[in-house]
Amino acid sequence: MEPILLLFIGFLSLILGAVVAIATHRLRWVCSWASFSFVLLSAVCFFYIAILVFTGGPVIMTEPLIFLPGVGSSLTIAIDPLSALLLLIISIISTCTTLFSVRYTARYQSESLVRYYPFLLLLFASIVGVVAVRDMLFFIAFWEIMTLTSYALVVFERGNEISLRAGFIYFLVTHVATACLIIAAIMLYVQTQAPHSFGFTALKTSLEMLVINHSGLVHIVLALFFIGFVTKAGILPFGFWLPAAYTVAPSGASAAFAGTMTKLGIYGVVRVFCELLPISHYSYMWGQVIAIFGAISIFVGTMSALTQDDSKRLMSFHVIGQIGYMFLGVGLGIFLLPINPAQATMALISGIFHLLNHTMYKPCLFLNAGSILYKTGTRDLNKVGGLLKVMPFTATTAIIASLSIAGVPPFSGFSSKLMIFESSIMSGIDSPHFIILGIVAIFISAVTLASFLKFLNSAFLGKLHVEGETDTQGDVPLSMKIPQGLLAFFCLLFGVVPWLPVRMIYSAISYILPVNYSPASGALLGTALPGFSLNSGQGTFGIWNPLWFLIAMVTLFALGFFISKAGMARTREAETWYGGREHAVEHVRYVSHSFYNPFKQLFVFTIGGIRFEGMYPRVLYPPRVNLSRIISGIKTISNIDQWLYFPFARGFLRLSRWFSRVHVGIPQVYILWIIIGVIAAMIVLFALPAG
Amino acid sequence: MSFVIGFSLLNLFIALGLSPLFEGVARKLRALVHSRIGPPVIQPYYDLLKLLGKENIKPQGKSFAQVAPWICFAAIATAALLVPMGTGRAPFGAFGDSILFIYVVTLVAVCLIMTAAASENPFAMVGASREMMLQLTVEPVLVIAVVTAAINARSFDLGHMVNWYHFHGPSISMIIASLFLFLALQAQVGKLPFDIAEAESEIVGGLFIEQSGPKYALLRWTMMAKQIIFVSLFTQVFIPWPETGNLALDILIHLAKVLVLVIIISLIDVVNPRLRIDQAVKYYLILVFFSLAGVAFAVIGA
Repeated sequence: MEPILLLFIGFLSLILGAVVAIATHRLRWVCSWASFSFVLLSAVCFFYIAILVFTGGPVIMTEPLIFLPGVGSSLTIAIDPLSALLLLIISIISTCTTLFSVRYTARYQSESLVRYYPFLLLLFASIVGVVAVRDMLFFIAFWEIMTLTSYALVVFERGNEISLRAGFIYFLVTHVATACLIIAAIMLYVQTQAPHSFGFTALKTSLEMLVINHSGLVHIVLALFFIGFVTKAGILPFGFWLPAAYTVAPSGASAAFAGTMTKLGIYGVVRVFCELLPISHYSYMWGQVIAIFGAISIFVGTMSALTQDDSKRLMSFHVIGQIGYMFLGVGLGIFLLPINPAQATMALISGIFHLLNHTMYKPCLFLNAGSILYKTGTRDLNKVGGLLKVMPFTATTAIIASLSIAGVPPFSGFSSKLMIFESSIMSGIDSPHFIILGIVAIFISAVTLASFLKFLNSAFLGKLHVEGETDTQGDVPLSMKIPQGLLAFFCLLFGVVPWLPVRMIYSAISYILPVNYSPASGALLGTALPGFSLNSGQGTFGIWNPLWFLIAMVTLFALGFFISKAGMARTREAETWYGGREHAVEHVRYVSHSFYNPFKQLFVFTIGGIRFEGMYPRVLYPPRVNLSRIISGIKTISNIDQWLYFPFARGFLRLSRWFSRVHVGIPQVYILWIIIGVIAAMIVLFALPAG
Repeated sequence: MSFVIGFSLLNLFIALGLSPLFEGVARKLRALVHSRIGPPVIQPYYDLLKLLGKENIKPQGKSFAQVAPWICFAAIATAALLVPMGTGRAPFGAFGDSILFIYVVTLVAVCLIMTAAASENPFAMVGASREMMLQLTVEPVLVIAVVTAAINARSFDLGHMVNWYHFHGPSISMIIASLFLFLALQAQVGKLPFDIAEAESEIVGGLFIEQSGPKYALLRWTMMAKQIIFVSLFTQVFIPWPETGNLALDILIHLAKVLVLVIIISLIDVVNPRLRIDQAVKYYLILVFFSLAGVAFAVIGA
């Protein structure tokens, strides 16, 4: 079938699904399953298109669908490998999150489903629109629909004041960001050749003209695009709204946000900075800006996650941290574009590869947190424990996803983090600040591990304990297990066979870069099937082959197994030892909050009315304006003698008093000073020509 | 292929087969410092054999704690394949580099921590929390040392680093890196003053409190092998001399260097008291900061 036709079918089935969901919202079961069916249909279409694009090349629609001659905008559709990658992600995430929501929404009996499924489906439809169009006006239009529908999902619990406040901030901030995008687009639009056009090709030409003229306008346009995209992606400080908004949204929606919507910020950055912006010293400068903001987000986001005890809030802070990794990779790639084609391509691949991996594990973790919430009614990790015994399946997927995000081999996060670390450190030989960014990334990877071990240890391992609701019989229903299982499977697949996603991403990246810019995939990524090696111009600098790693692990696991069985030791079950006394569980539990306390204390401090928990500011009390203090401050500043003259004068007096001590009045000492002075002068004279 | 299998067996022999012997030497030395006679040098072998036959006491119900010791063992043995031991090349050097090594060693810590947490004992939880904090602050020192070597050698492959250092001779950056890595060794191998996660006298063995029988034997063995692997990494990458070209002689020299370093580590272990976790964390965060000097020297090519 014609791919474009399939795209329409998928898109229309999402719209139709939203309509059907509105019509049937009173019948909760019908509404849920109908929405899921339509999402599944669209997902199959998008998945098939993505496969077609990766095997048969990009799909480009020659005739525009809608043409607006008045503004010179036309709805042109083209699916290149990068868009296809996003379509693949959307198809998987939309299926998983909608299926999870079917039973999960039963938690919200008092809320009408008319405010959930239609918006969720429209969110997916608008995301498809954003990645498929080749026209800035329609891009922004779909972007705006995406913002509005996601706002509706954030404030789903309308009785809850916290959600309303988080939603309001989200609404406000993202609209400022969209305004930035609109201004940037219009600034480029007026520079296009008459008749003006919003098409990507026209904007590319006008941006090229600006770059050639070295116009200062380029920096303004790029800065506006940058702010617009990173605000959506959640890069700090622009993404401060993210933890609040993702925490209060229903878990299915949070997973959809983390899996698809956040990624569009990176998609936008790659589109604008790699495709629209010609390779020039502007990419060199803005690449550094993007990478440094990425590293700041990695550090602050993950450090603050370590101090969280609310499961979904913890995940949300990790979204910020992980997005930082992607921006570090992508920014490094953009920075290297004018310098080193091989390493630039590799860094871009590493960033996008991390995006793909993050798309699998982070929604899985949000769904895990949602399952805990569904089962126990709480997000507070201090109140639950030992759930492995109640929900073994959820616990297993949570362990896989947590180890993936922490970058433990052979799970998926390891492959992409390896690429990001090694390419940032190797490119850092010529620009050393990237080494620091790379080391920050490696250090924070360990912090991520610590944070997720805390999540696993307190929620799933340890003594079984649930405060509050006591419905702890059995695991979550099958329709909630399947999405988690599927996502965990992808975590494992992309970790064991990184070759598959890396080649897909290679074709996406090399397509948007100029023709013949990137080296051939074999020369860049080696032939270490099913892994990859990293080759710069001077040779191989890194390698990862999961197949041999797994062979070794399995063989040695078997060896350990047989050794431990060789002694024929008997096995006996026994109570946990508490030092010889019987205790109730709640007295001897080690709660989530206690983990890593000495370490966390190092990163908690208060300045004035603002408390920094893991570097993330939280206002304790609103800043008070004290008029008399301000006036006295102004007086102090205006009194120049007070702060400029007197300190110097006093310092000079002290210095001269100190010098006067050498006048001891004994002639021998004066002679000694003279000799020392002569020696010093001679040393200086001899040292100078040599130096 | 025969290279991979042959040298893999050699590394496994050194890391798994000989590590109890080195532990025995360390114990003997500790006894001498205490003015005791001490157990025979091969006592750790007897201990392991005895533990393998002892009763395996497990917590009630199915739990992750049953699988974790095997994963720990497999991970530390895989880590042994990623480090060169006297041969200048790691057997698995063509399949994974130093970053993989660091993460496989982390996997050991992860498994230990999850075993401890799964054992449901609050003492074990305290031990797990401490182990992770140590890992958080000690790992960057190891990473920075490896990054320094990688920048010098222009590759993350440990074999390349050894070759480069042979060819190039001592350099300021590598000496700084080896100094800081040496300061981190004590915590990496879990010896005093940094055996905070076990701390028999305050949290009764911490991580290992609920372990018994064959599982405890494997975990003990893992800790012994970990010591030899880290010492091998240090002696091969950061002090790669002398090298003769004769394989058998090189391996013997390597074992001798490992023995010397194990003796030094044991001496430090026996004359020091245990630090508190907050002191250890601060100590290593300061080390991390200063070890960046090595990277700076490596960047300017010194």
